[in-house]
Amino acid sequence: MNCETGRILTETNDSGLADHIMSCPSCFIGTRACYYQAPAGLEDKIRQRLRRETAAPAYSHWLAIAASVLLIVSVTGNVALLRSRVAPQHSVASDVLSAHLRSLAGTHLLDVPSSDQHTVKPWFNGKLDFSPPVKFLDGFPLLGGRIEYFDGRPAAALIYGRNKHVINVFTWPAAPVAETAIARNGFNMLNWSNSGMTFWAISDLNESELREFVSLYR
Amino acid sequence: MDPARKLLLFEQTVIPHMNAAYNLARWLTRSSQTADDLVQESFLKAFRSFDTFQGNDSNDGRGWLLTIVRNTCFTWLKKKGNQPTSEFDEQLHGSADDQNPESILLKEDAMGSLNQCLEGLPFAFREAIVLRELEELSYREISDIARVPVGTVMSRLARARKRLQECLAGAAR
Repeated sequence: MNCETGRILTETNDSGLADHIMSCPSCFIGTRACYYQAPAGLEDKIRQRLRRETAAPAYSHWLAIAASVLLIVSVTGNVALLRSRVAPQHSVASDVLSAHLRSLAGTHLLDVPSSDQHTVKPWFNGKLDFSPPVKFLDGFPLLGGRIEYFDGRPAAALIYGRNKHVINVFTWPAAPVAETAIARNGFNMLNWSNSGMTFWAISDLNESELREFVSLYR
Repeated sequence: MDPARKLLLFEQTVIPHMNAAYNLARWLTRSSQTADDLVQESFLKAFRSFDTFQGNDSNDGRGWLLTIVRNTCFTWLKKKGNQPTSEFDEQLHGSADDQNPESILLKEDAMGSLNQCLEGLPFAFREAIVLRELEELSYREISDIARVPVGTVMSRLARARKRLQECLAGAAR
Protein backbone atom coordinates (compact mmCIF):
# COMPACT_ATOMS: atom_id res chain seq x y z
CA MET A 1 0.00 0.00 0.00
CA ASN A 2 1.40 3.34 -0.89
CA CYS A 3 0.54 6.79 0.36
CA GLU A 4 -1.74 7.50 -2.53
CA THR A 5 -4.00 4.58 -1.69
CA GLY A 6 -3.67 5.46 1.97
CA ARG A 7 -5.01 8.89 1.21
CA ILE A 8 -7.96 7.52 -0.74
CA LEU A 9 -8.71 5.00 1.99
CA THR A 10 -8.63 7.71 4.61
CA GLU A 11 -11.06 9.76 2.62
CA THR A 12 -13.43 6.79 2.37
CA ASN A 13 -13.12 6.14 6.11
CA ASP A 14 -11.75 2.65 5.70
CA SER A 15 -11.32 1.22 9.15
CA GLY A 16 -8.60 -1.20 8.06
CA LEU A 17 -6.32 1.67 7.38
CA ALA A 18 -4.87 2.08 10.86
CA ASP A 19 -2.36 -0.74 10.44
CA HIS A 20 -0.88 0.73 7.35
CA ILE A 21 -0.73 4.21 8.71
CA MET A 22 0.98 3.03 11.84
CA SER A 23 3.61 1.26 9.82
CA CYS A 24 4.01 4.34 7.67
CA PRO A 25 4.45 7.63 9.57
CA SER A 26 4.82 9.28 6.21
CA CYS A 27 1.28 8.28 5.28
CA PHE A 28 0.04 9.35 8.65
CA ILE A 29 1.45 12.82 8.23
CA GLY A 30 0.44 13.02 4.59
CA THR A 31 -3.14 12.13 5.32
CA ARG A 32 -3.57 13.92 8.63
CA ALA A 33 -1.56 17.12 8.37
CA CYS A 34 -3.40 20.14 7.15
CA TYR A 35 -2.96 21.03 3.54
CA TYR A 36 -3.62 24.76 3.48
CA GLN A 37 -5.59 25.81 0.42
CA ALA A 38 -4.86 29.23 -1.02
CA PRO A 39 -7.53 31.73 0.09
CA ALA A 40 -10.19 32.54 -2.48
CA GLY A 41 -8.94 36.02 -3.38
CA LEU A 42 -5.26 35.14 -3.72
CA GLU A 43 -5.31 34.11 -7.36
CA ASP A 44 -7.08 37.34 -8.33
CA LYS A 45 -4.57 39.40 -6.41
CA ILE A 46 -1.70 37.63 -8.13
CA ARG A 47 -3.23 37.95 -11.58
CA GLN A 48 -3.84 41.65 -10.97
CA ARG A 49 -0.26 42.22 -9.96
CA LEU A 50 0.98 40.25 -12.96
CA ARG A 51 -1.18 42.37 -15.24
CA ARG A 52 0.26 45.50 -13.70
CA GLU A 53 3.69 43.98 -14.05
CA THR A 54 3.18 43.29 -17.76
CA ALA A 55 1.54 46.66 -18.31
CA ALA A 56 4.25 48.56 -16.47
CA PRO A 57 7.16 47.63 -18.71
CA ALA A 58 5.10 48.50 -21.78
CA TYR A 59 4.34 51.87 -20.25
CA SER A 60 7.94 52.51 -19.30
CA HIS A 61 8.90 51.20 -22.73
CA TRP A 62 6.85 53.94 -24.37
CA LEU A 63 8.12 56.39 -21.82
CA ALA A 64 11.64 55.38 -22.77
CA ILE A 65 10.85 55.85 -26.45
CA ALA A 66 9.30 59.23 -25.75
CA ALA A 67 12.32 60.20 -23.66
CA SER A 68 14.65 59.05 -26.43
CA VAL A 69 12.74 61.03 -28.99
CA LEU A 70 12.87 64.09 -26.78
CA LEU A 71 16.55 63.56 -26.24
CA ILE A 72 17.23 63.14 -29.95
CA VAL A 73 15.15 66.20 -30.78
CA SER A 74 16.89 68.15 -28.07
CA VAL A 75 20.35 66.97 -29.10
CA THR A 76 19.58 67.53 -32.77
CA GLY A 77 18.23 70.94 -31.90
CA ASN A 78 21.28 71.78 -29.87
CA VAL A 79 23.62 70.44 -32.50
CA ALA A 80 21.71 72.38 -35.14
CA LEU A 81 21.94 75.46 -32.95
CA LEU A 82 25.61 74.80 -32.36
CA ARG A 83 26.18 74.14 -36.03
CA SER A 84 24.28 77.23 -37.01
CA ARG A 85 26.32 79.22 -34.51
CA VAL A 86 29.59 78.07 -35.93
CA ALA A 87 28.20 77.20 -39.34
CA PRO A 88 30.27 78.45 -42.24
CA GLN A 89 26.99 79.88 -43.49
CA HIS A 90 27.16 82.57 -40.87
CA SER A 91 30.69 83.60 -41.59
CA VAL A 92 29.87 83.51 -45.30
CA ALA A 93 26.79 85.60 -44.54
CA SER A 94 29.07 88.44 -43.43
CA ASP A 95 30.91 88.23 -46.72
CA VAL A 96 27.62 88.11 -48.59
CA LEU A 97 26.39 91.16 -46.76
CA SER A 98 29.64 93.01 -47.42
CA ALA A 99 29.49 92.10 -51.10
CA HIS A 100 25.89 93.24 -51.29
CA LEU A 101 26.70 96.55 -49.54
CA ARG A 102 29.71 97.15 -51.79
CA SER A 103 27.60 96.53 -54.84
CA LEU A 104 25.09 99.13 -53.68
CA ALA A 105 27.57 101.74 -52.47
CA GLY A 106 29.93 101.70 -55.38
CA THR A 107 29.46 101.96 -59.02
CA HIS A 108 30.30 98.31 -59.47
CA LEU A 109 26.88 96.75 -59.41
CA LEU A 110 26.93 95.26 -62.84
CA ASP A 111 29.67 93.87 -65.05
CA VAL A 112 27.13 92.87 -67.62
CA PRO A 113 24.06 95.10 -67.55
CA SER A 114 21.39 93.10 -69.30
CA SER A 115 17.88 91.97 -68.70
CA ASP A 116 18.40 89.17 -71.17
CA GLN A 117 19.31 85.90 -69.51
CA HIS A 118 20.80 84.73 -72.82
CA THR A 119 23.23 87.59 -72.65
CA VAL A 120 24.08 87.26 -68.98
CA LYS A 121 24.59 83.52 -68.85
CA PRO A 122 27.14 83.28 -71.67
CA TRP A 123 28.96 86.25 -70.20
CA PHE A 124 30.08 84.07 -67.29
CA ASN A 125 31.64 81.53 -69.68
CA GLY A 126 35.37 81.69 -69.45
CA LYS A 127 35.20 83.69 -66.23
CA LEU A 128 33.95 80.87 -64.04
CA ASP A 129 34.54 77.12 -63.88
CA PHE A 130 30.82 76.59 -63.46
CA SER A 131 27.71 77.83 -65.13
CA PRO A 132 25.23 79.64 -62.87
CA PRO A 133 21.53 79.29 -63.61
CA VAL A 134 20.25 82.58 -64.96
CA LYS A 135 16.48 82.78 -65.06
CA PHE A 136 13.81 85.14 -66.24
CA LEU A 137 11.53 85.78 -63.31
CA ASP A 138 8.11 87.38 -63.46
CA GLY A 139 8.00 90.46 -61.20
CA PHE A 140 11.72 90.38 -60.53
CA PRO A 141 13.45 91.82 -63.61
CA LEU A 142 16.98 90.65 -64.26
CA LEU A 143 19.34 93.64 -64.13
CA GLY A 144 22.59 91.92 -65.00
CA GLY A 145 25.56 90.01 -63.60
CA ARG A 146 29.09 90.39 -62.32
CA ILE A 147 31.87 88.39 -60.69
CA GLU A 148 32.35 88.33 -56.94
CA TYR A 149 34.86 86.55 -54.79
CA PHE A 150 33.99 84.48 -51.77
CA ASP A 151 36.57 82.68 -49.71
CA GLY A 152 39.18 83.30 -52.36
CA ARG A 153 37.25 81.85 -55.26
CA PRO A 154 35.15 83.45 -57.93
CA ALA A 155 31.39 83.39 -57.66
CA ALA A 156 28.61 84.47 -59.95
CA ALA A 157 26.50 87.44 -58.88
CA LEU A 158 23.12 87.87 -60.53
CA ILE A 159 21.27 91.07 -59.89
CA TYR A 160 17.51 91.24 -59.92
CA GLY A 161 15.27 94.17 -59.17
CA ARG A 162 11.99 94.54 -57.38
CA ASN A 163 10.62 98.08 -57.65
CA LYS A 164 13.50 100.15 -56.23
CA HIS A 165 15.02 97.18 -54.36
CA VAL A 166 18.08 95.29 -55.48
CA ILE A 167 18.50 91.57 -55.03
CA ASN A 168 21.92 89.99 -55.30
CA VAL A 169 22.08 86.27 -55.95
CA PHE A 170 25.54 84.81 -55.33
CA THR A 171 26.35 81.31 -56.35
CA TRP A 172 29.39 79.06 -56.40
CA PRO A 173 30.13 75.36 -56.15
CA ALA A 174 30.05 74.21 -52.54
CA ALA A 175 29.00 71.37 -50.32
CA PRO A 176 25.26 71.20 -49.69
CA VAL A 177 23.90 73.17 -46.76
CA ALA A 178 20.56 73.23 -45.02
CA GLU A 179 18.32 76.03 -46.18
CA THR A 180 18.90 78.97 -43.87
CA ALA A 181 17.35 82.39 -43.49
CA ILE A 182 19.50 85.07 -41.89
CA ALA A 183 18.53 88.63 -41.13
CA ARG A 184 21.35 91.09 -40.53
CA ASN A 185 21.56 94.88 -40.48
CA GLY A 186 18.09 95.15 -41.99
CA PHE A 187 18.97 92.87 -44.87
CA ASN A 188 17.44 89.48 -45.42
CA MET A 189 19.46 86.56 -46.69
CA LEU A 190 18.42 83.15 -47.83
CA ASN A 191 20.93 80.39 -48.36
CA TRP A 192 20.20 77.10 -50.10
CA SER A 193 21.93 74.44 -52.15
CA ASN A 194 21.20 72.91 -55.49
CA SER A 195 23.17 70.72 -57.88
CA GLY A 196 26.41 71.04 -55.96
CA MET A 197 26.21 74.81 -55.76
CA THR A 198 25.40 77.11 -52.90
CA PHE A 199 23.09 80.08 -53.47
CA TRP A 200 22.76 83.25 -51.48
CA ALA A 201 19.98 85.71 -52.13
CA ILE A 202 20.27 89.01 -50.27
CA SER A 203 18.16 92.13 -50.37
CA ASP A 204 16.56 94.83 -48.28
CA LEU A 205 13.25 93.30 -49.40
CA ASN A 206 11.13 91.90 -46.61
CA GLU A 207 11.60 88.21 -45.98
CA SER A 208 8.34 87.06 -47.55
CA GLU A 209 9.08 88.87 -50.80
CA LEU A 210 12.61 87.52 -50.79
CA ARG A 211 11.20 84.04 -50.24
CA GLU A 212 8.82 84.60 -53.13
CA PHE A 213 11.76 85.57 -55.27
CA VAL A 214 13.76 82.53 -54.18
CA SER A 215 10.91 80.13 -54.82
CA LEU A 216 10.61 81.54 -58.34
CA TYR A 217 14.34 81.41 -58.88
CA ARG A 218 14.67 77.81 -57.68
CA MET B 1 10.48 36.89 -24.55
CA ASP B 2 7.42 38.64 -25.89
CA PRO B 3 5.27 39.67 -22.90
CA ALA B 4 2.05 38.01 -24.08
CA ARG B 5 3.83 34.70 -24.67
CA LYS B 6 5.61 35.00 -21.35
CA LEU B 7 2.35 35.53 -19.49
CA LEU B 8 0.74 32.58 -21.27
CA LEU B 9 3.63 30.23 -20.46
CA PHE B 10 3.66 31.47 -16.90
CA GLU B 11 -0.04 30.78 -16.56
CA GLN B 12 0.46 27.25 -17.84
CA THR B 13 3.51 26.25 -15.85
CA VAL B 14 3.52 28.29 -12.63
CA ILE B 15 0.07 29.62 -11.73
CA PRO B 16 -1.40 26.10 -11.28
CA HIS B 17 0.83 25.65 -8.23
CA MET B 18 -0.73 28.41 -6.21
CA ASN B 19 -2.03 25.99 -3.57
CA ALA B 20 1.34 24.30 -3.22
CA ALA B 21 2.97 27.71 -2.89
CA TYR B 22 0.46 28.85 -0.30
CA ASN B 23 0.61 25.61 1.69
CA LEU B 24 4.41 25.79 1.88
CA ALA B 25 4.41 29.48 2.79
CA ARG B 26 1.70 28.93 5.39
CA TRP B 27 3.64 26.11 7.02
CA LEU B 28 6.97 27.92 6.90
CA THR B 29 5.70 31.26 8.24
CA ARG B 30 2.92 29.85 10.47
CA SER B 31 0.76 32.82 9.52
CA SER B 32 -2.00 32.97 6.92
CA GLN B 33 -1.62 36.72 6.37
CA THR B 34 2.13 36.49 5.91
CA ALA B 35 1.71 33.50 3.63
CA ASP B 36 -0.77 35.48 1.52
CA ASP B 37 1.70 38.38 1.18
CA LEU B 38 4.76 36.24 0.58
CA VAL B 39 3.03 34.09 -2.04
CA GLN B 40 2.12 37.23 -3.98
CA GLU B 41 5.67 38.43 -3.67
CA SER B 42 6.98 35.04 -4.78
CA PHE B 43 4.77 34.99 -7.87
CA LEU B 44 5.99 38.44 -8.84
CA LYS B 45 9.60 37.38 -8.35
CA ALA B 46 8.92 34.22 -10.33
CA PHE B 47 7.37 36.22 -13.15
CA ARG B 48 10.24 38.70 -13.26
CA SER B 49 12.82 35.94 -13.45
CA PHE B 50 10.70 33.67 -15.63
CA ASP B 51 13.16 34.15 -18.49
CA THR B 52 15.66 32.12 -16.47
CA PHE B 53 13.20 29.25 -16.00
CA GLN B 54 14.74 26.25 -17.73
CA GLY B 55 11.90 23.78 -17.31
CA ASN B 56 9.47 22.62 -19.94
CA ASP B 57 6.39 21.59 -18.10
CA SER B 58 4.14 22.26 -15.19
CA ASN B 59 6.00 19.79 -12.98
CA ASP B 60 9.25 21.72 -13.40
CA GLY B 61 7.26 24.87 -12.72
CA ARG B 62 6.20 23.59 -9.31
CA GLY B 63 9.73 22.89 -8.06
CA TRP B 64 10.93 26.19 -9.45
CA LEU B 65 8.10 28.14 -7.83
CA LEU B 66 8.47 26.34 -4.49
CA THR B 67 12.18 27.20 -4.45
CA ILE B 68 11.28 30.87 -4.79
CA VAL B 69 8.56 30.60 -2.14
CA ARG B 70 10.91 28.80 0.21
CA ASN B 71 13.64 31.42 -0.22
CA THR B 72 11.19 34.29 0.13
CA CYS B 73 9.89 32.84 3.39
CA PHE B 74 13.39 32.09 4.62
CA THR B 75 14.52 35.66 3.95
CA TRP B 76 11.39 37.09 5.55
CA LEU B 77 11.85 35.02 8.70
CA LYS B 78 15.50 35.98 8.96
CA LYS B 79 14.70 39.66 8.51
CA LYS B 80 11.99 39.43 11.11
CA GLY B 81 14.51 37.96 13.52
CA ASN B 82 12.64 34.68 13.68
CA GLN B 83 15.44 32.21 13.46
CA PRO B 84 14.17 29.82 10.78
CA THR B 85 16.20 27.16 12.57
CA SER B 86 14.61 27.70 15.99
CA GLU B 87 14.93 24.49 17.92
CA PHE B 88 12.16 22.12 18.70
CA ASP B 89 11.45 21.99 22.41
CA GLU B 90 11.66 18.34 23.35
CA GLN B 91 11.15 18.99 27.02
CA LEU B 92 7.80 20.60 26.39
CA HIS B 93 6.55 17.91 24.08
CA GLY B 94 7.89 14.98 26.09
CA SER B 95 8.73 11.60 24.62
CA ALA B 96 6.70 8.82 23.05
CA ASP B 97 8.18 6.01 25.08
CA ASP B 98 5.11 4.93 26.93
CA GLN B 99 2.59 5.61 24.21
CA ASN B 100 0.76 3.20 22.01
CA PRO B 101 0.69 4.76 18.55
CA GLU B 102 -2.76 3.42 17.89
CA SER B 103 -4.22 5.25 20.83
CA ILE B 104 -2.68 8.44 19.56
CA LEU B 105 -4.28 7.94 16.23
CA LEU B 106 -7.67 7.21 17.69
CA LYS B 107 -7.77 10.40 19.66
CA GLU B 108 -10.18 12.87 18.14
CA ASP B 109 -7.73 15.72 18.32
CA ALA B 110 -4.93 13.77 16.66
CA MET B 111 -5.14 15.93 13.60
CA GLY B 112 -5.01 19.14 15.60
CA SER B 113 -2.09 17.79 17.58
CA LEU B 114 -0.28 16.73 14.47
CA ASN B 115 -0.63 20.18 13.03
CA GLN B 116 0.60 21.76 16.24
CA CYS B 117 3.50 19.37 16.41
CA LEU B 118 4.40 20.05 12.81
CA GLU B 119 4.29 23.80 13.46
CA GLY B 120 6.61 23.26 16.38
CA LEU B 121 9.29 21.60 14.26
CA PRO B 122 12.39 23.58 13.33
CA PHE B 123 12.28 25.25 9.93
CA ALA B 124 14.49 22.68 8.19
CA PHE B 125 12.42 19.76 9.47
CA ARG B 126 9.11 21.44 8.74
CA GLU B 127 10.21 22.27 5.25
CA ALA B 128 11.29 18.69 4.59
CA ILE B 129 8.05 17.22 5.96
CA VAL B 130 5.78 19.60 4.03
CA LEU B 131 7.59 19.08 0.75
CA ARG B 132 7.78 15.31 1.18
CA GLU B 133 4.53 14.35 2.87
CA LEU B 134 2.20 17.06 1.63
CA GLU B 135 3.68 17.91 -1.76
CA GLU B 136 5.09 14.43 -2.30
CA LEU B 137 8.23 15.76 -3.91
CA SER B 138 11.20 13.45 -4.49
CA TYR B 139 14.28 13.61 -2.29
CA ARG B 140 16.11 15.08 -5.25
CA GLU B 141 13.56 17.88 -5.66
CA ILE B 142 13.61 18.65 -1.95
CA SER B 143 17.40 18.74 -1.96
CA ASP B 144 17.28 21.29 -4.80
CA ILE B 145 14.77 23.48 -2.99
CA ALA B 146 16.40 23.32 0.45
CA ARG B 147 19.90 23.46 -1.06
CA VAL B 148 21.21 20.51 0.92
CA PRO B 149 22.44 17.09 -0.24
CA VAL B 150 19.91 14.30 -0.73
CA GLY B 151 21.41 12.45 2.25
CA THR B 152 20.68 15.43 4.46
CA VAL B 153 17.10 15.52 3.22
CA MET B 154 16.66 11.86 4.13
CA SER B 155 18.13 12.23 7.60
CA ARG B 156 16.09 15.37 8.24
CA LEU B 157 12.93 13.54 7.24
CA ALA B 158 13.72 10.61 9.52
CA ARG B 159 14.46 12.87 12.45
CA ALA B 160 11.41 15.02 11.75
CA ARG B 161 9.09 12.01 11.68
CA LYS B 162 10.56 10.74 14.93
CA ARG B 163 10.07 14.13 16.55
CA LEU B 164 6.51 14.28 15.34
CA GLN B 165 5.78 10.89 16.82
CA GLU B 166 7.29 11.97 20.09
CA CYS B 167 5.35 15.19 20.04
CA LEU B 168 2.10 13.41 19.31
CA ALA B 169 2.74 11.00 22.14
CA GLY B 170 3.34 13.95 24.43
CA ALA B 171 0.18 15.65 23.28
CA ALA B 172 -1.89 12.52 23.75
CA ARG B 173 -0.61 11.95 27.22
